[in-house]
Amino acid sequence: MLQAIDLVKRYGSVLALDGFSLSVAAGEIVGLVGHNGAGKTTFVEIVSYLIRPDSGHVTIDGRPPSANKGKVGIAPQHIALYPSITVREHLVLFGKLAGLRRAALDSAIEELTVALRLGAFIDRREAGLSGGQQRRVQAATALINRPGLLLLDEPTAGADLETREAMLDVVKQRAGDGAAIVYTTHYLPELVELQATIAVARSGRIIARGTYEELVDGLPGEVRLIHDNEEEVRVSTTQPAATLIDLLSRAERPISTIEVHNPSLDDLYRSLAVSDAS
Amino acid sequence: MLLDTGYRVGPIAALRESVYRIRALSNHNTIIRLRDPGQTISYVVMPMVLMLVLKPLYVRAVDGGTTKVVTGLLVMFSVFAISIAGNAILAERTWKTWDRLRVSRAPAAELLIGKTLPMYLVMVLQQIILLTYGCLVIGLPIPGNIPLVLMSILVWAFTLLAIGALLAAIVRSHGELSVISDVGALTLSSLGGALVPLSLMPDWAQVAAQLSPGYWALQMLQAAVAGDTAGTLLPAAILLGIALVAGAFAVRRLTRGWGRGGLL
Ligand SMILES: Nc1ncnc2c1ncn2[C@@H]1O[C@H](COP(=O)(O)OP(=O)(O)O)[C@@H](O)[C@H]1O
Ligand SMILES: [Mg+2]
Repeated sequence: MLQAIDLVKRYGSVLALDGFSLSVAAGEIVGLVGHNGAGKTTFVEIVSYLIRPDSGHVTIDGRPPSANKGKVGIAPQHIALYPSITVREHLVLFGKLAGLRRAALDSAIEELTVALRLGAFIDRREAGLSGGQQRRVQAATALINRPGLLLLDEPTAGADLETREAMLDVVKQRAGDGAAIVYTTHYLPELVELQATIAVARSGRIIARGTYEELVDGLPGEVRLIHDNEEEVRVSTTQPAATLIDLLSRAERPISTIEVHNPSLDDLYRSLAVSDAS
Repeated sequence: MLLDTGYRVGPIAALRESVYRIRALSNHNTIIRLRDPGQTISYVVMPMVLMLVLKPLYVRAVDGGTTKVVTGLLVMFSVFAISIAGNAILAERTWKTWDRLRVSRAPAAELLIGKTLPMYLVMVLQQIILLTYGCLVIGLPIPGNIPLVLMSILVWAFTLLAIGALLAAIVRSHGELSVISDVGALTLSSLGGALVPLSLMPDWAQVAAQLSPGYWALQMLQAAVAGDTAGTLLPAAILLGIALVAGAFAVRRLTRGWGRGGLL
């Protein structure tokens, strides 16, 4: 569905993309992760046809981005909505721009109102919404015409629990309907929930791609203990249970806090950096 | 396949689609305008008050004082209205919404028409209201050739819109826009003779006036109100020329979008 090959994009001395290649099949969710500045948003902008790459090329359904204008659903990283316009008016605007008419438009609005839980504030102006509500509205404007390719750039950034749940449900459902989805995030658990393919971007290119099992399972997580005197013990381990028991059995003071962390994205980045160096 | 590729539309259907999108955009922009009416209202009310207050002065100072006070303040406050157009376009950058529209199916031309049409109507209405007020309250004789007056208003509003779009495309912020448009409006319109009748200004100013679009707007409107078709056409042509140059430049830059740095 989406194929990007060897994209290069330079801003002055900054190489935003440096041989970035990524493909996404219909029905597939690719979780695009990586530190800030890795090039995720630049990639999304090129696929959206907002900016042109210096070299490399992109095809969507076999055609260039220019031929797919208006047929890709895009939720930008930053909220981009009209403050004095209500949620419903946003959906009408973006629906009509995508060519939806009366009945089709009404049913699309109805469906998204339910799926993204917009009902309680559908006739409120954007300026009065919470951050999470704005995120949902922004996603709704991207989903309104059931695009075959969805680019969701940090759709849950700063979002509350309700927003996150609704977002993940809709994304899963759209992938189930056959949409190809690029989903950028800084939260690994979301990608586990979405059963997404994980693609790790660093310095303008994809350095690893695979399932959660392939990339993350087996990486060390962390066990953290805090004693009553605030003294802290952190241990990186692939066997958190055994490690925890061992630490507890050797503790000499009462313990006030116990935390066990599964491997995080940072652990994944670290392990990739290590395997790079060696 | 979910991607709604496929059907080939003929030119008539394509035109209908295009009109549909332009209507959606101009409805949307009309709503935005209606929800933020303050500036527009004050640019209609302030000249009304000033016309009343300044009329005796004009009538005593120059021939045709009534025409001059009405057209002068109309031109001055229509120039102020440039900032309404400029701010409306600039807001799309502040809100980051312009790029969202750019990735829609609507080509740049549709976006610009949908964006500017409501503002054009606001500017035309402002001028019609002020002229009507001039006739009803200030005592301006009702023009004999109304179509000529209307044409002048349409041309002048178009020029203002193009200048506003140009400013929005080149400034860095709303603050910069309001400085340029307020200072610019005052200079251009007073230099053009909108505040003080031209015949009372120093000689150098009378020559410099010809550089100001406000001067040509005044010449055009005064000729149109007097029913002088020949005298209307030259200034109208000059204003259209200015509008086309400014408009072409603005369109070129707005089509490209502002990018992430916020600058074109
Ligand atoms: N318009 C731009 N002008 C200058 N530098 C840019 C621009 N867009 C992106 N960059 C730079 O390109 C790099 C990649 O940025 P970005 O794609 O936003 O990364 P990410 O989304 O992964 O955080 C960063 O170093 C960023 O500063
Ligand atoms: Mg980003």
